[in-house]
Amino acid sequence: MEKMLVCIQCPQGCKLTVSHSGEGVSVTGNKCPRGASYAQQELINPCRTLTTTVRTAFVDFPLLPVRTLGEIPLKSVFGAMGEISRLVVKKRLRPGDVVLEKLYNTDVALIATDDMTMGEKYAKGSEDYGRDGILS
Amino acid sequence: MSGAKWDVAVIGAGPAGLAAAIAANKAGARVCLVERESRPGGILKQCIHDGFGLVRFGQKLSGPEYAWRDIQLAKERGIKLFTDTFLLELEAREEGFVLTLQNSEQAVFQIVTRALVAATGCRERSARQVFIHGQRPAGVYTAGTVQRLINIGGHLPGKNCVILGSGDIGLIMARRLTLEGAKVQGVYEIKAEPSGLTRNIVQCLEDYNIPLHLGATVTKVHGSERVEAVTISQVDENLRALPGTEEYVPCDTLVLSVGLIPENDMLLPLGVQIDPRTGGPAVDQLMATGQAGLYSCGNALHVNDLVDYVSESGEIAGSSAARFSLGKPDRPCHLPVIPQGDIQYVVPQKLDIAAGGQAVLYFRSARTIANASLEISAGGQVLLQKKYKAVRPPEMERIVLDLALLPPGTEELSLNLRG
Amino acid sequence: MTEKLNLVARELAKLGLTAVYPREWRRSVVLEGEVDTWQQYIAAGYAAAGKGYKGVVNAIKVRGLEQSREYLPPAQGGALEGKDYDVVIIGGGVIGCAVARDLTRWDLRVALLEKEDDVAKQTSSRNNGMIHPGIAASSGSKKLAYNIRGNRMYTQAAEELGFELVRCGSVVMLGKSMYQLALPYVRYKALQKGVDGLIPLSRRQVARREPNATSLQRGGIFLPSTGVVAPYKVTVAYAENAVENGAAVHLNTAALGFAMEQGRIIGVRTNQGLIRAGAVVNAAGVWADKIAAYADDHFFTIHGRKGTIAIIDKALGATQKSVLALPRLGVKSYTKGGGLNPTVEGNLLMGPTAIEVSQREDWSTTPEEMEFLFSRHLSLNRQLRPRDTITYFAGVRACTFEEDFIIEPSEHVPNLIHAVGIQSPGLASAPAIAQDVAAMAVEILKTTREVKPNPTFNPERRLTPQLAKLSLEERGEAIKKNPAYGQIVCRCEAISAGEIIDAIHSPVPATSLDAVKRRARAGMGRCQGGFCTPAILEILARETGKAASEINKGRPGSQLLAGETKTGGGTRT
Repeated sequence: MEKMLVCIQCPQGCKLTVSHSGEGVSVTGNKCPRGASYAQQELINPCRTLTTTVRTAFVDFPLLPVRTLGEIPLKSVFGAMGEISRLVVKKRLRPGDVVLEKLYNTDVALIATDDMTMGEKYAKGSEDYGRDGILS
Repeated sequence: MSGAKWDVAVIGAGPAGLAAAIAANKAGARVCLVERESRPGGILKQCIHDGFGLVRFGQKLSGPEYAWRDIQLAKERGIKLFTDTFLLELEAREEGFVLTLQNSEQAVFQIVTRALVAATGCRERSARQVFIHGQRPAGVYTAGTVQRLINIGGHLPGKNCVILGSGDIGLIMARRLTLEGAKVQGVYEIKAEPSGLTRNIVQCLEDYNIPLHLGATVTKVHGSERVEAVTISQVDENLRALPGTEEYVPCDTLVLSVGLIPENDMLLPLGVQIDPRTGGPAVDQLMATGQAGLYSCGNALHVNDLVDYVSESGEIAGSSAARFSLGKPDRPCHLPVIPQGDIQYVVPQKLDIAAGGQAVLYFRSARTIANASLEISAGGQVLLQKKYKAVRPPEMERIVLDLALLPPGTEELSLNLRG
Repeated sequence: MTEKLNLVARELAKLGLTAVYPREWRRSVVLEGEVDTWQQYIAAGYAAAGKGYKGVVNAIKVRGLEQSREYLPPAQGGALEGKDYDVVIIGGGVIGCAVARDLTRWDLRVALLEKEDDVAKQTSSRNNGMIHPGIAASSGSKKLAYNIRGNRMYTQAAEELGFELVRCGSVVMLGKSMYQLALPYVRYKALQKGVDGLIPLSRRQVARREPNATSLQRGGIFLPSTGVVAPYKVTVAYAENAVENGAAVHLNTAALGFAMEQGRIIGVRTNQGLIRAGAVVNAAGVWADKIAAYADDHFFTIHGRKGTIAIIDKALGATQKSVLALPRLGVKSYTKGGGLNPTVEGNLLMGPTAIEVSQREDWSTTPEEMEFLFSRHLSLNRQLRPRDTITYFAGVRACTFEEDFIIEPSEHVPNLIHAVGIQSPGLASAPAIAQDVAAMAVEILKTTREVKPNPTFNPERRLTPQLAKLSLEERGEAIKKNPAYGQIVCRCEAISAGEIIDAIHSPVPATSLDAVKRRARAGMGRCQGGFCTPAILEILARETGKAASEINKGRPGSQLLAGETKTGGGTRT
């Protein structure tokens, strides 16, 4: 049995051919090893990184962009979205900070991907943000 | 109004501007960044999906994460950032460029800079600019507006959406709307092939069973207060709607992903030459425009499909601007770069051979070609050849050329792409 | 059958409209019966016009055609029940608002009723903003008289009310075949009509004045009195000054009928209750015939004529100084055919077209109309290309079959005044029309009481800063006083948060996205609101205390959002 897939690991979009023969699965068309493991996983249990937002308790930064640290099963995506929609971030997080240790019955963490402290400085009108530059 | 003096000023603190500012700072220039929004990061702030940075960082980052890396770097290097600051006027004078700026705290003020990097990004083509007719109900949005509403504001623009245009932002918003509970009826693309990346067709549409309709477009919006439906028509080979093929598709929202236009309006008073093929200034490999000391990069130069190359062009522009400002740059010696065959455009449009070194060339094909070959030649001599399994207009190609290869007395360089 | 009626009947027969029956009613002619198409309905109306009747009432049914839909605001209880005004004006277009403002020169209680959420919602925001010189109006018409007078009054109105008026002049170019023939005639006509300051131009003079003008021109005439305004801003300015001088503007308030007593109107029935009125002004635009019918004074019928207009990017604004037009021989049109004109904001504008439509509130555009605009106007300026279009829209003119304004007290209802049938050059005529209508209302009131001048009338509107019009120094001062002017929201037009907030809290408050657009211009630039719509939405929500999902474009049902995301909220991290 053969199956055609497009690898989504990078923008190249290699066209993969996956063949089942007895016990083994062989993948052709991939330009790098990531393509082979993607194809194998795709056959068993397609997994994706989920990116979305979480509500926060801060008016200056009402939504925090988040992503899963690793992939979760595609079939769990809507369940995960439901769980995420009930979260409210009460602390100012920065990229990489964990929002939730284990998202929707997986071992995958949900992490912040933006810096909420930028909003805080702005909200306070602090000297080192804005006019004189958050960067200086 | 006398203003602070800078070596390099960068307009726009998106990925191109951040990279330019950092590169100029590394080259020893006193740099400032001017940003009209409250936070740096540009459009990446609302691009919360992942896939950014594979080329530059070898990682799949989200837009804010990608921007954050450069923001941190710029911060560590003490680069001055003016946020919520709007450029009112730009003037080229003997001593450099005079920027008249405004913000809430300093009111109206001026800065003077020897070199200027324009990293002003691009805007989206609107419904009227693709000649969609009907009334003007609520619910017609560009994909970028939808992205801003959902990802920054937490608003849901509609519950039953049709997407016109298969550009990457359109595909990504199809998935985003679906994840947030809206129904996406389908993505319609006037051309015979999608204009977004194949991986986005897979992970944004196929994963969620969203149909992609090729060779079809929206010809009318129905509804007077809020969108009630759209008329979809099939198109002929000249992309004109075919009478008799109209289909009425009920929906409450029309999302448009129908093209991006580089923003260079502020440069027009300076008389900067705009390449009609890219919509951006004509530059050399140093990203220098025809106006001495003025550099262009990122999506203002030409619309990119990967942010990594936006940053790359920013780095080139920033270091070139620093060199102009600090050093005694060689007098440029330009030769034109001529696109031939199936090339849609090439950036840079000219080469400064006095600068030497290597030149990064970005080009797009005019059509999809399998087994294409590219030939770069000068003075009747072929300098470089490259084979491509496939080239597609939506996918920008990049090639590096060693200027030492140019034969002496070369008057022009040509890039020829053939099937 | 009278001679006049015979004439009408013969004309109808010539058109083959055998199922149309004319009859006389008071001094007007009424058409009844049935036809198959809207075109036939229109043709029948014109067949009855110009036969010596006061008006044409076209009551013909068109088989299978839906009646024109009309938006009516929801019933809102009796918030205005029992209010008592000396004058009630129906319709918040430029005429109604200018009348309201002129009436506040007197010590009167004045109210203006507008069924939409804002003034200038229909024809007054959907036209080309032209202050015509008067040359196109027919001799002896009300249009001509009001146009010439109104044009002259605009300079003072602009100064007092603080709206922009650019006297850009117009160049009426003549093609090869027309030049020799037409020029002496045009000069004679202009002189006779009282058009100010006509200057004949040779081909070379046209080219020198307008270097990008079409090469088809063989010379023309320059009419220096032609001006342009932003019509919605003029309307808003009149309304605001009226409010400042004590008038009430009741938005979302539709006139649904009159309470009559002994042939006089004693009150206006609205969706907000019965409002008592000493006199009533009918300035109801495309629905003026319906209002007249409420008082049994239905001696004219309004038919809608749609015009499509395209706006060209500001980048091309400098390619042309004046209005350009090239009349064509043999093109019969009841409009001036439109032209290509500058706008006060620095864009160019082409149009409007003219199409008879049965739906009076259908402002949809079509590809055919755009093609027509391009074919007719694009070549007038050699720099233009279709892709320079940033947006386009349509409006519907309120035409009578006699094609002239009706500005007069009713012949049958002693306290009703009609200011109807207003189409081009209605905007140009508005100051003069308002002056006369206000005087008529005062005359009516004087029959029962004394009317004194308003001692506190101030003709000058209070202005909030328009940053685009300020010098850098003035801009800096404005920002220091109010930092909200420092924050730019609409980057295409450089409109600040402060200007948007001012619009929201103005005397006629802008509470919808489109109303903000009309006041502050935010969202009218080349990105067409792509960048600033979310920000304006959030400012509107904040300033009006509403949820973002309640903010709309104006009418109910035009909400911008379906709701919010992540509404499952609860768990904390």
